[in-house]
Amino acid sequence: MKSLLDSPRNRMYAIIACLLMALVLPILFGLNLYILTVLILMVIFIIYASSWNFLTYTGQGSLGHAAFFGLGGYISAMVASASGISPYITMLVGGGAAALVGLFIGVICVRLKEWFLAMVTFGFAIIIQTLMVSQFAGVTGGWDGIAAPRLISSAVPNYLLVEYYSIVLIAALVVLLFWLILRSRIGLAFAAIRENETEARAAGIDPVRYRLFAFVVSAYFSGVAGALEIHHLGYITPEIFSVDISFWPIIYSISGGLGTLAGPIVGTIVITVLWDGLQTLGITYARFIIIGLLLVLIIIFLPKGLISLPDRIRKYLEGRQKTS
Amino acid sequence: MAGGIDVILQVLIWGLYAGCIYILLAIGLNLIFGVMKVVNFAHGELLMLGAYITFTFYALSGFNPYVLLAASVPTLILAGVIIERLCFRPILGTGKLNEIFISIGLIYIIQNAAALIWTDEWRIIHSPYEKITLSIFGVNMPLDYLIIIITTILILIVLYLFLRKTRLGKAMRATSQNRKGAMLMGINVERMDMLSFGIGAGLAGAAGTLWVVSGQVFNPYMGSIPAIKAFAIVIIGGLGSIPGAIIGGLIYGIAENFAIFTLGGAWKDAVSFIILILVLIIRPTGIFGESAE
Repeated sequence: MKSLLDSPRNRMYAIIACLLMALVLPILFGLNLYILTVLILMVIFIIYASSWNFLTYTGQGSLGHAAFFGLGGYISAMVASASGISPYITMLVGGGAAALVGLFIGVICVRLKEWFLAMVTFGFAIIIQTLMVSQFAGVTGGWDGIAAPRLISSAVPNYLLVEYYSIVLIAALVVLLFWLILRSRIGLAFAAIRENETEARAAGIDPVRYRLFAFVVSAYFSGVAGALEIHHLGYITPEIFSVDISFWPIIYSISGGLGTLAGPIVGTIVITVLWDGLQTLGITYARFIIIGLLLVLIIIFLPKGLISLPDRIRKYLEGRQKTS
Repeated sequence: MAGGIDVILQVLIWGLYAGCIYILLAIGLNLIFGVMKVVNFAHGELLMLGAYITFTFYALSGFNPYVLLAASVPTLILAGVIIERLCFRPILGTGKLNEIFISIGLIYIIQNAAALIWTDEWRIIHSPYEKITLSIFGVNMPLDYLIIIITTILILIVLYLFLRKTRLGKAMRATSQNRKGAMLMGINVERMDMLSFGIGAGLAGAAGTLWVVSGQVFNPYMGSIPAIKAFAIVIIGGLGSIPGAIIGGLIYGIAENFAIFTLGGAWKDAVSFIILILVLIIRPTGIFGESAE
């Protein structure tokens, strides 16, 4: 039996259904402000997790994407406050700054083996944080942070809803762009590098160039996501570089399924629902422990993530039918 | 700057002392990597656990905190063995990204379990010798620094004797040189994994005790900065090389303290990254590392 989503037509219907769902959801909840805020942050993290996940297509993994998320936020906030241009435009600048730093880190790291890359990126976000609160405290406001202009002025009626729709649109465009890149020759080159670097080299693919490309694209859209978040919140502090922010996209992508477009989206939705559900139950520190346990269990028992769960269940049921 | 031999000596001593804690962490990382070919990103969290275990026993018993090495090291060895058995063994060989990301789950679990048990406020304990300072060749050296340096040297000697002279240690080195070959020689390589992880965690526990004794503050989230420094040392010294970790640790500790002395304390943590990048540009596999696989 083939999976339901194997045919392109079914897959398209599924995508359209998801998008419609995303559009209708806030209205279903009667424009509840808390739900709307959760949804906005969730969609921003879908962009962030998808950008992080883009890197894994080349077999790389970063433990410090908060550096790009935060840099995008800081630069966009500063440019928007100084110039008065709409955050929707300055976030592109923020992304550009993140991409530049990504290029710098990438140039140093792309030749490195996975372990070195992970070790360097692990420290990187914290080092950027240190620089932000000490060396650049004059412009960044140190630990207090700075105010960031809102995406949409709160004077606009239903501004959160407008904000939400605009972010859903951006997320859809970003995922579409990733899809276009991945189905092009570049995507094939990524797969070749991931599976066997030596053979890819023999086939005339330059792994360093493609890895660098993936790194810069990933950094760029992480920066955009960071800018969206801080313009939504209205302020930015160096907390944005914390280890947590680096780890969230990893947790989302792994729980959903690494190296797939749907993985980070599914993962972000499931974990966000779980996370906020636990909060309403009044669980605080233990939430992190539960998420950590979930991550370990998924890596051990469901290495392809939650999106492989339906297939696994079906196979299990088929196996039982045969034996009975 | 008022240069002069005594100032340089002073900074050297600070560096030596700072290097000791990082060396213990970095050796643990390298020992684990050597045998299992896995980097434990939750290593800083093991140091944090060591610090809290020392803290708890100190609060309960009031013993001299140095004696509490006898509590933190065995506890952490046990914790390391459990972590290896439950988390790393099932996924060994299923892909490098998996092996990296499982530590992230561990970081979450350990940090927040610690926050649940000990709350997340910053803590500090005071060594009984904190007011004693020795004067050697006109250089001031707190007695604690001297004890920490000597303790580290003793731990390194014990480790050296274990790896060189005992059957178990030799089996471990054999596994780290050639896993398949060791297996063919009848070595239980999975037991070696467990052992190396246990010893690595125990060393992190010792580092945690020394961290606490030297009067540095700690909370459940403090592990990441020392871990990053240990990574920098591992990269300087070469992944998997124990002598590399010692030399790297000394170079790192001294460089860090010279940077603080000349540039100011705010640079303390940024220095690690600058050193890291310099080393990576010059020699991507570390100064003493073997060439990439």
